[in-house]
Amino acid sequence: MLNSFRQSMAWVHTWFGLVLGFVLMVAFFFGALSVFDREIDRWAIPETRFEPQPMPSYDNLLKQVFADLKPHPLDMAATAERVIGDLPAPETMPMVGLFAYTTHRDPVLRIGAEFAIPNKPIDSKDDHLHVHGWATIDPRTGAALPDDQLKIGSNWFYPMHYSLQVHWKNIGVFVVGLAALVMLVALVTGVIMHRKLFKEFFTFRPKKRTQRSTLDLHNMTGVVALPFHFFFAFTGLVIFASFYYFPVSGTLLKPLHDRHEVIEAEHTGLPHDEAGVPAELASVDAMVAEAKRIWAERDMAGEVGLLMIEHLGDANGYVSIYRAGSDRVALVGEGIHFKASTGEVLREEPPSDPVGAVNEFLTGLHLQHFEHWTLRWLYVAGGLLGCICIATGFVFFVEKRKQEHAKRGLQGCRLVDAMAVTTVTGMVLAAVAMLVANRLLPDAMPGRGDWEKWTFWAVWLLSLLHALWRSAPVAQARSNPAWREQCWALALACVAAVLLNWLTTGDHLLKTMLLEPYWAVAGVDLSLLACALVSVFTARRLARTVEVKQASRIDGVAYE
Amino acid sequence: MWLATGWLALSLPAHWRQVFVANEVAPGYLRPLGWLALGVSVLCCFKADHPSMAVLVWFTLLPVAAVATAMTLSYRPALLRVVCPVFLRAR
Repeated sequence: MLNSFRQSMAWVHTWFGLVLGFVLMVAFFFGALSVFDREIDRWAIPETRFEPQPMPSYDNLLKQVFADLKPHPLDMAATAERVIGDLPAPETMPMVGLFAYTTHRDPVLRIGAEFAIPNKPIDSKDDHLHVHGWATIDPRTGAALPDDQLKIGSNWFYPMHYSLQVHWKNIGVFVVGLAALVMLVALVTGVIMHRKLFKEFFTFRPKKRTQRSTLDLHNMTGVVALPFHFFFAFTGLVIFASFYYFPVSGTLLKPLHDRHEVIEAEHTGLPHDEAGVPAELASVDAMVAEAKRIWAERDMAGEVGLLMIEHLGDANGYVSIYRAGSDRVALVGEGIHFKASTGEVLREEPPSDPVGAVNEFLTGLHLQHFEHWTLRWLYVAGGLLGCICIATGFVFFVEKRKQEHAKRGLQGCRLVDAMAVTTVTGMVLAAVAMLVANRLLPDAMPGRGDWEKWTFWAVWLLSLLHALWRSAPVAQARSNPAWREQCWALALACVAAVLLNWLTTGDHLLKTMLLEPYWAVAGVDLSLLACALVSVFTARRLARTVEVKQASRIDGVAYE
Repeated sequence: MWLATGWLALSLPAHWRQVFVANEVAPGYLRPLGWLALGVSVLCCFKADHPSMAVLVWFTLLPVAAVATAMTLSYRPALLRVVCPVFLRAR
């Protein structure tokens, strides 16, 4: 059947690419959006539209904030199912650990704490028994921000990128991992299949038949961004490999892992367990100042990104201070640990060995904590090129087969085409509809964030139903009008989102760009408008000659 | 970067014909010139940023420039004459 090497590669590329391409499309598109997740958060939560803030003083501000922080009811309920007997009242639980986290793009500060409980676990292997509390605060005043406001960028689009929001047994994470692996395979097989890799490097012939021009676009976007695609699929796998895909240290080698923790604690001087003796906390601000001095001495002065306290209130307590990584790619925290009761330096983390350094570079490359706006936009461009590559792959699949399927009365193309509509225009439509819902739902509505999520899923489902309903022409080798109709809907939704942002918050583009520049919001608005323009252009183009189908509609969906 | 990919593209016979509508081939030195310009762009990136950042900027700029060149070739091929002024066209 498959008599040449190239043909068998083509088979792998076609079928694996088709099946997991839908997942890859989601990963690429929401990955591109996640580059600007914090900015989308600002757009979605107008109360937080102020400048990014450094880590606030612990002694003067955070200490009181943490004193007011209580175990979260959600985690109370989740923990209650894992333990024997009733949990004590949340006010009585002692806080034993805490963290505060910020980045150079965050006006708000995320904090969280662990509370100790006396209960025994139901499952004896369950060894991490704490109740957690968390909040997002305004670092200027310490005031907590309403908890049920969904951070659409960092808590919806970003997890969608790596987990598809399917959390049951982490299936989403594994599916995305499999898709990343298939992406690597598709890249290799794609290069082998390609007959004129260099000769047609710059070739795109929009005036040829749809089948030819989509293949051109597929090849071009795939080949020119090959290093980008390769590195992102690969580093994505690296990031999750040890935690999700091969968690041997937590399963197979668990006793070894636990023993190692204890030995490592002896080695580093950071106590593994509590002493059981209460102790006061020395000035954390003084420790922060000392950490900054040490960083400056190493010629890498910087701000605090993460502050953690372990064994809070115990004689063995220690404070860990990590640097915000804004000026380099590698994720290096340069962590410095202090004894909580005295403020003396317990340990400075040494520079990493070569393997560790490579790992830090690879993960940093993907997670991008750096401060470099040009590079961020280039990442978005790369991600969208990936989307174009996958979308044109679908269109080519359909174009190549639809004549034959029409003759033989098969429905396969019809289904694939409808799925393609759903994952290309439908997905973008769902994301924008979510932003529209965010501006339309009343602020005081209980469970507002959940309604936004439901809007997202509902619109996506509707786009699938719409694409299926309109798909009959594909079975007769014509094209699905759903492409065009969803483009129009998308354009409308984008413009509506920008207008609603203006109406509900008063932040119109003139203000956010010129009068009181606030580029996080202006960028989202501008990108929405760019997306609207591209959709209108595509829709008109599709209407003019139904046969010249341009799959590059996602080209400008770079709304931050 | 756009210059570099432009020169590289023009060094391919099909695209040369597309831009200049003549039955000739591109001068042979255009291709080395393109590679050289790519090299210069690497140096520029390194000069502007921390090395680790510069690598990423260059690698992500590459596809963007290449796509820009390809789109120019498809829709406005005449524009690419700019990157290859008359004195460069001689063989």
